[in-house]
Amino acid sequence: MSMFILRKAEPKDVSDILRLIKELAKYEEMENQVLLTEEDLLEDGFGDHPFYHCIVAHVPEEHQSADGHVIIGFAMYYFTYDPWIGKLLYLEDFYVMKEYRGFGIGSEILKKLSNTAVRTRCSSMHFIVAEWNKPSIEFYKRRGASDLSLEEGWRLFKIDKQNLMKMTDEE
Amino acid sequence: MKFTIREGKPEDCKDIERMIMELAVYEKMPDQVKISHKELERDGFGPNAYYKFLVAEVPEEQKSKDGYTKVGYALFFYTYSTWKGRVVYMEDLYVMPEYRGKGIGKALMANVAKVGKEKECVRLQLSVLDWNKPSLEFYLAKGAEDLTAKEGWHHIRFHGEALNNLAQEAP
Repeated sequence: MSMFILRKAEPKDVSDILRLIKELAKYEEMENQVLLTEEDLLEDGFGDHPFYHCIVAHVPEEHQSADGHVIIGFAMYYFTYDPWIGKLLYLEDFYVMKEYRGFGIGSEILKKLSNTAVRTRCSSMHFIVAEWNKPSIEFYKRRGASDLSLEEGWRLFKIDKQNLMKMTDEE
Repeated sequence: MKFTIREGKPEDCKDIERMIMELAVYEKMPDQVKISHKELERDGFGPNAYYKFLVAEVPEEQKSKDGYTKVGYALFFYTYSTWKGRVVYMEDLYVMPEYRGKGIGKALMANVAKVGKEKECVRLQLSVLDWNKPSLEFYLAKGAEDLTAKEGWHHIRFHGEALNNLAQEAP
């Protein structure tokens, strides 16, 4: 599959992006956790204060998917900050539809992202991966990634809205 | 003890640099700190700010034994969950040892939660080192959930040479 292009996502892509987000969530066995809507994606990605950046993989009409889609992969990222080393590129989601895997599309997306990271003065690219997701872990390790949870002991925590409200009410 | 929590300003960056190093020493990784107040000033203010921070300040008469009145900080930024939307990520939370146990950490974090609430964030995320018992207890008491334990998420990083190698392969 040499015929695919990677480009910056545009407002018209939000419905494809949401479709792919849901497919990836299904793969991660957490499909009913996707609460985001096309409207949210539009406002949060293309409004006054973008919370994310997105690139999409586009194939020509003649290579469309079984369901008739031409947007067959995406990566969503944003910039974060490490007080020790400065700007980082954080990869939030990265997905290629099953029928398009094994053609190097995932590798090209990752290369494009790392190129963006270097160009924008980011010292590292970070992301999280589920420990049971062996194919993804192998894919990243083959390319020189480190698992900071294993190597340094970092654990990710969340505090949900209810508990956040409690915190602000107590102040 | 009287203290105030306020938004950080460029002139606070020298004190933040000092406290970042104190926190890195506590986390047993001081040699990983590569940036100074210059980068903090450049990256934290202006139209392309990559992070925000709050400062905890005490009056002159309660200054530290080394003469500091800025005794704690919280550094945070916005991230995006493709499942739920806007998230506030608290990267650093630190109070100098001689000022602990007086509600300063709690107040800093509540103010981060407040900012997150104003921006319609659905959750707050943070990372803690697995051996850091005092911090783990502090966050668990506020309703934090360990996503690494619960869902198996690991932090992955592409850094330095690995990142450059990836980027150089880009078309």
